[in-house]
Amino acid sequence: MRMFNCLALGAGLLATPLAVPAHAEDAKVAAIVKGLDNPFFQTMQKGIEEQAKADGVGVTVQAAANMGDATGQADKLTAMALQDYDCYLVNPISVSNLVQALVPVAQKKKPIVNIDSTIDADQAKAAGFAVSTYIGTDNVAAGALAGEEMLKLVPKGSKVALIAGIVGDVGSNARTKGFKQAVEGKLEVVVMVSADWDREKALTAATDILAAHPDLAGFFAANDIMALGVERAVQTSGKDVKVIGLDGIVDALKSVAAGELTATVAQYPYVVGAMGVEACKLAAMGKELPANVPAPVLLINKDNAEASLKNFPRPGGDYPDPLREMLK
Amino acid sequence: MSVPADNAPASRQAGVREESRPSLAALLIDPSFWADWASVVGLVGLVILFGVTSPVFLSVANMQAMLLAAAILVVLSIGQTFVVATSGIDLSLAASVMLGAVILGLVHAAGLGIFAACALAVLATSAIGFMNGVLITAGRIPDFVVTLGTLSGITGLGLILSGGEPTMVGSTFLLKLASGYLGPFGYPVWVAIAAVLVAHVALYHTRFGVHLLATGGQAESASALGIRTNRVKIAAYTISGFCAGIASILLVARIGSAEPQINTSLLLNSVAAVVLGGVSLFGGRASILGPAIGALMLTALVNGLTLLSVSAFYQPLAVGVIVVLAALIMRYQK
Repeated sequence: MRMFNCLALGAGLLATPLAVPAHAEDAKVAAIVKGLDNPFFQTMQKGIEEQAKADGVGVTVQAAANMGDATGQADKLTAMALQDYDCYLVNPISVSNLVQALVPVAQKKKPIVNIDSTIDADQAKAAGFAVSTYIGTDNVAAGALAGEEMLKLVPKGSKVALIAGIVGDVGSNARTKGFKQAVEGKLEVVVMVSADWDREKALTAATDILAAHPDLAGFFAANDIMALGVERAVQTSGKDVKVIGLDGIVDALKSVAAGELTATVAQYPYVVGAMGVEACKLAAMGKELPANVPAPVLLINKDNAEASLKNFPRPGGDYPDPLREMLK
Repeated sequence: MSVPADNAPASRQAGVREESRPSLAALLIDPSFWADWASVVGLVGLVILFGVTSPVFLSVANMQAMLLAAAILVVLSIGQTFVVATSGIDLSLAASVMLGAVILGLVHAAGLGIFAACALAVLATSAIGFMNGVLITAGRIPDFVVTLGTLSGITGLGLILSGGEPTMVGSTFLLKLASGYLGPFGYPVWVAIAAVLVAHVALYHTRFGVHLLATGGQAESASALGIRTNRVKIAAYTISGFCAGIASILLVARIGSAEPQINTSLLLNSVAAVVLGGVSLFGGRASILGPAIGALMLTALVNGLTLLSVSAFYQPLAVGVIVVLAALIMRYQK
């Protein structure tokens, strides 16, 4: 809540002035997400559609043809911008590909709710608009959560290794940064390698690291796919080394429940989509939106893995949602 | 104008009418007519269908947006047409666009100015086209294999040069290019129109055009007649590369950054537009307007389906069905 309060303060400065508020009941939301060839965005779409149904708002979800279809996504948004929607929910492929397509939306003074991937604020400003709100996972906080769990699992001063994604990837950098900050001065990070989000590469890298550091106590992998690869390497070595992943995909939850993977930090594309719809509903009611809303990240270990699996793609337990509070 | 000059076209026109009048009904049941005009018939059909079902579709704003969205594909389809006319195929087209964009971004980031960046991007993609042509003709390797190879090679090159990361291109010139209007059309549309005109003249009113079609249709007879078919092929691939360069500038202008990601739908749609445009995949028969209208039609299809809130899953299916149908009709071409 403390975090939310200071965010709400910032929101006052950035919140978009809204045109005559429509009735929330007949609000129509246009959503455009990234490629539906990825389960992450399919789950997000499900969250958008189910929340819209629950909230009684109409929604149309469109998506890019694939993750490289930056112009196609812009074309579809351009088409939707011409139609009479009350709110636009956008998850852009890149920080700039939807900027031009959003100009007519901003001219009509319709709220723009940015979810998951950010739109570059400077380019938006140059084009003459600002998004009404941003809802997404804080990757640094998610990495820190993994770091805190690692601190509980291994003795102080233990050696840990980090498996990062593609070199230079913003998400991977933020996640490893969060982990490092959380364990700084308490654990020794002996090595960090890049395994390109690939299970096989992570397995090979972990095998090598285990050979080089026989006294290693734990691994943190920047996503679950790599964590599962690392876990296989640990199993083969027969050692008791803790492995923590990040994302909360089904395979990882199953592995945690089976006692293989130690833990994972789950983020919820379903909730990100659902919160986006809540933001649109709030905007339609004429409420001012906070500029930045963090989506929940939850730590999943053996205790709550079963519950998480049962509720997937929803979180296993209750989670903080400032937008839901505002709707009450 | 003098009287005879006025009379001449009139009499010619009358002649045409006399010829076509008895065949008008026959024309409609002649599959060859539908094959030749597949893209136009398709476009008109889609415009009517979407115009009736979606009130926004026929609005001026949507038409303008659609033309803007189609500009990149139109330019690429023209490049692909030149290659297909020689009975080849350029699978490296979308990868070339990516490489052009990456080079544009890097040169601009290095502070060499936007015009140098654009020029170098076009130069690089043209060079790739040239290289494709040389490998195919001098190396005697099938077009498909060479361009498949360069597709992968260029993908790697783009990733190496860019380090896998997008480069922002904040240029007022490109911003104006992407969002400015001259008359009813945005600048990218004018670029596409210019490309269509130049290509049309090159294909139908120059010796090169005749040689190109001869090379594609009857390569052996063409070389027997003294046409240097290898040079013609290399030229066709270089033109394709040049078009990829122009498209990369339009792309960077449109999305504001240079990204090392290949948009595979651009490649597939460029081939689809060529097929819809009635260009024979066996070479020797081509038009420029046909593929341009084919590209417009594919853009209109996605635009209309989006307006009708059809799920994104069904859109590639619709494109696929239409392309295969067009190819089927093409069998009846004379």
